[in-house]
Amino acid sequence: MTVGAIPLSARPAPSTPQQWWTLTTRMIAPTLANGELATQIIGSIVFTVGFYLPLKNILGAVQPMSSYAQYLTPLIVVQAIFFAAVSAAFRSAIDALQGINRRFRAMPMAALTPLAARMTASIYRCVVALVVSLACGHVIGFRFHGPLWHTVGFIALTLLIGAALALVGDLIGAATRNPEATAPLLLVPQVTLGLASVGLQPVERFPGWIQPFVRDQPLSQFLNSMRALAGDSTPAAPPVTWSVIGPALAWVAGIVVVFTWLHARVAARRP
Amino acid sequence: MSLINETSLLTARILRRWSSDAATVAQSLLFPAGFLVALNVVLGDGVKRVTGTSALYGSVPLVSLIGATSGAIIVAVGVMRERDDGLLARFWVVPSHRASGLLSRLLAEAVRIVVITSFVMCVGLLLGFRFNQGFPQAVAWLFMPTVFGVAFSAVVMTIALYAQNTLVPQATEVIAAVMFFFSTGFVPLDQFPKWLQPFVEHQPCSFVVEAMRGLSMGGPVLKPVLGTLLWSAGIAAIIAVPLAVGYRRASRRD
Repeated sequence: MTVGAIPLSARPAPSTPQQWWTLTTRMIAPTLANGELATQIIGSIVFTVGFYLPLKNILGAVQPMSSYAQYLTPLIVVQAIFFAAVSAAFRSAIDALQGINRRFRAMPMAALTPLAARMTASIYRCVVALVVSLACGHVIGFRFHGPLWHTVGFIALTLLIGAALALVGDLIGAATRNPEATAPLLLVPQVTLGLASVGLQPVERFPGWIQPFVRDQPLSQFLNSMRALAGDSTPAAPPVTWSVIGPALAWVAGIVVVFTWLHARVAARRP
Repeated sequence: MSLINETSLLTARILRRWSSDAATVAQSLLFPAGFLVALNVVLGDGVKRVTGTSALYGSVPLVSLIGATSGAIIVAVGVMRERDDGLLARFWVVPSHRASGLLSRLLAEAVRIVVITSFVMCVGLLLGFRFNQGFPQAVAWLFMPTVFGVAFSAVVMTIALYAQNTLVPQATEVIAAVMFFFSTGFVPLDQFPKWLQPFVEHQPCSFVVEAMRGLSMGGPVLKPVLGTLLWSAGIAAIIAVPLAVGYRRASRRD
């Protein structure tokens, strides 16, 4: 027998769910104390009133739906889950920078458990973002008009989009290891895609050269699907058909596949 | 004399660090550029219909300010990291002027904001923005975002020195978003609800935008410039002591 070897009976038997749960609470618990949750709530409120009040007159007149609140709220929801992805990126960059990921790899733990825990925490952030932004939307006049399963579909699709965005944010954090750059780095797609989408005004209102981009970019596809699932009191909302929902689901699936693959590559990199 | 030498040395250190980080440079310049183009595409038409003048005279200043404020996080996180690495404590025991560390950071911010404003100005000129008032006014225009931007950066740095890690980036974004949405650079004043107009008119971002509008397109200059200076001086007066104390504390942490 080798001197110093730990007998099998004395070795701990680590359980993957247990490890996942421990790492998940490690991500979630601080958000209650350090103000992350509070800023997320305030951020959603700011984006709601910030888009709604100034633009209600100037753009409310040119959109087809019953009210500008009904038209705008999907964009507010998407911006809120984008915020959640920024948080995910920041946390992931700090973990990568401080070497805790490297430490995890030396532990008896499945390779994807830390990522799974970070993703669970991201879903938690998305749920918070969704609840807060829908509450904000409700205040300005947004309502669900479709049957119940449309509403359920709206929530499920939003969380799927949130998970995909969080995966992107997490990768950016882990790959750059630069917490100071993550928030501004994600601000670029958040703002430019947000403005150049059908979120604020219909595609016909854009100059001709940019219309194809505005119509086909992922954010517009997400917004179309969410508008369809939310419905409207007038028939102006897009119909719930595969040709409306399909592109959004395809974008989500594509993002998840590509970024999981990139994650595996970054995780395999020697620090 | 030593204060000037040391401050310029430390400023050069920060600027070198900043300019060698290609990702940060690219995004601090490309983000405002993309943002300006997007803003112009989305709102340019609507604003022109309402006011009769080009929206660029409000949106170019606004985007310069957004570039200035959203970049403030870089200096804040930099301070937090150098505090945790012990570099600040190291500087503290070097025989240099106590104020040089803090002054150099603010000076680096001023340089950063002038660079960003110049870049946004170039993009604006491509889109049709013009200086109609003359050369001295154009020079004054270029430095308006710096006046307020440095004061804003000082606030963010102070928050960073006292608060915990993750709060700072998001809190900054929220503050910047409020100032951006509720300013006269976004849409004209009369587009806001009546009860909100006094706030929109008198918040610092609107003063800077209106000052810059006056200096480029034409219109009142004195009142918005005074407003900008008063806001910046007021913020500086409130923040000076907490900032100095916080920086000292961060430098003496073991």
